[in-house]
Amino acid sequence: MKVIVDPDVCTGHGRCWTYAPEIYTLDDNGYNAVTGVPIDVPPDKEEAARLGARTCPERAITIVVSAPGPL
Amino acid sequence: MIEDLDPSVVESTVSQEDIEESIRKYGRDIYNDFDMLDPTFNENFDGILDDLLAKCPVAKSNVGSGYYLVTRQQLVREIAQNWKTFSNAQGYQPDRPEGLPYLYPEECDPPIHTAWRQALNPFMGPAKIAPYEAVIRQDANTLIDRFVDRGECDFVTEFGAVLPGWAFFKNVMGVPVDDLDVLVSSVERGTFEPPPDRPKHFAIIFEYLGEYLKDRAKQESKGEMVDMIAAGVMYDDGTMASYEDRLSVLVDMVFGGIATTTYVMADGMRYLAENPDQRQLLLDDPSLIPRAVEEFARVYPPVVQLGRCLTRDVELGGRQMKQGDFVMMCYAGSSRDPRVIEEPAKVDITRKVALHSAFGMGPHRCIGANLARLELVATYEEWLKRIPHFQVKSGTEPIYETGILRSMHNLHLVW
Repeated sequence: MKVIVDPDVCTGHGRCWTYAPEIYTLDDNGYNAVTGVPIDVPPDKEEAARLGARTCPERAITIVVSAPGPL
Repeated sequence: MIEDLDPSVVESTVSQEDIEESIRKYGRDIYNDFDMLDPTFNENFDGILDDLLAKCPVAKSNVGSGYYLVTRQQLVREIAQNWKTFSNAQGYQPDRPEGLPYLYPEECDPPIHTAWRQALNPFMGPAKIAPYEAVIRQDANTLIDRFVDRGECDFVTEFGAVLPGWAFFKNVMGVPVDDLDVLVSSVERGTFEPPPDRPKHFAIIFEYLGEYLKDRAKQESKGEMVDMIAAGVMYDDGTMASYEDRLSVLVDMVFGGIATTTYVMADGMRYLAENPDQRQLLLDDPSLIPRAVEEFARVYPPVVQLGRCLTRDVELGGRQMKQGDFVMMCYAGSSRDPRVIEEPAKVDITRKVALHSAFGMGPHRCIGANLARLELVATYEEWLKRIPHFQVKSGTEPIYETGILRSMHNLHLVW
C-alpha cells in the first residue's frame, strides 16, 4: 500500500501524523514534509496509515492499493 | 469547483411540513429564516444543527443584510478550500460593525494571508510547542492547588478561562508574568460580561498589545512569535506590513486561542462530571484522553461558524447566491454530519476517528490547533490525577451563549 498527500490541500492539521508518525512526517511548519509522491506503507503500518488518511479534515490523503501480482 | 458536487449533498428536502414542525419546535423557520443570535439556537443547538444537516444544504437568514448557512461537511470543506470564490477579505461576519479593523491573517486572502501564515506557522507547529507541555502541566496544577482542598470550584472562572491565557501569553508571546492577570481577566470579561460592557475590556487588551508590540520592536529579537510580528512581513508588492496590520495579527492570535479553548475544555469537563462511567474509562486508561479531546472538540465546538463573502454568483442547494452575499460555514454542523460520522449525536470518547471540523478547514485552518490540543490533553490528564471524582453542583445550571462562537459562562463542580 502507498499513500499520497496532496500538497495543495494539506494545511497542517497534523492529524495523520498523530496516527502514523512513521508514514506522515511533518516539516517545521507542521505540514506534511513529503507530498505529491507515493509514500510506501509497510504492512504493519497500513491500519495506522488508513486511520491517518480518514481523519484528515481536508481529504488531502489518497490511498493507493498496489496490485498483488503482475497485472 | 462548487458546481461539480454530488447532487445528494446539495439537494434540499425541506417540505411545508418540515417548516411547520420547525416553527412548532423552535419558534421560527430555521431553513428560510435562520438567526444565529436567536436564543432558540443557543437552547436547541444540537437539534437545530441536526435538522439543518438532514434536510437543508443551504439555509437562509434574513437578519440584517441576510446571509446563508451551510452545515454539510462536504459543502463546508468546498467553501473553506475555495478562497477565490468564497473570500475572507470582507471579514468573517456579515453586517460587520463599521470601523472595525480587519484582523490578519484571518480576515484576508492570499497573497497577504500566505505571507503572514508562512511566517507564523513555524511558531505553532508540533515540534515548536512540544517544550511548552511541561509548563502547561505545571500551570494546570498551580490552578488546581488553589481550590482542591475547598472541594468545589467554578471551573470556567478558576481554570478554563485562565489556563489557555497563561499558556499563550507566557509561552508563545513571552509576556511578563506580572501582566498575565490583567490580560486574562480582560479576555474573560470581554467574553462573558453583558455585551454592552465587553468593548471596554477588549480596549484594555488592544492598548496593552499595541504598547507591547512597540516595546518588543525596540528590543533585540528573542526569536519569538511576537518578534516576527513586530518586524513584520513583506507583501508581494514589495511593501512591508504596516503597524496596524502587525497589531491586528497580534490581536488575532490572542483572541483566536484563549476564550475558544475555554469552551471545549469546560463542556468536556461537564460531560465527565455527568458521566462517571465514561470518566472511569479515562481513569482506567489515560491513553484514551487524546481521543476524548477530539470527541469533545467535535461535539462542543467553540467556533460555531465563520463567514465568507462571494466573489461571484453561485447557485447552490436551490439558492441563487449573489456576488457580495455572505455564507456562513457552520463548522459545528459539519462535525455532526451523518454522511461522514457514524452516530454523530452520540458522544463517544473512545472513537478511533472523530472526523470533525472544530479547527476549521482550508488555508485559514486554526493556527493554534496543536497548542489547544496540548492544553486540553494536559488539563484532563492532570485534573483526573488530582480530582478523579467530581459532579456538577446540584441546583446549579451552566449558562451557554451562542453566535459566531459558543461559550459557557459557568460550571460549578464539587468533589
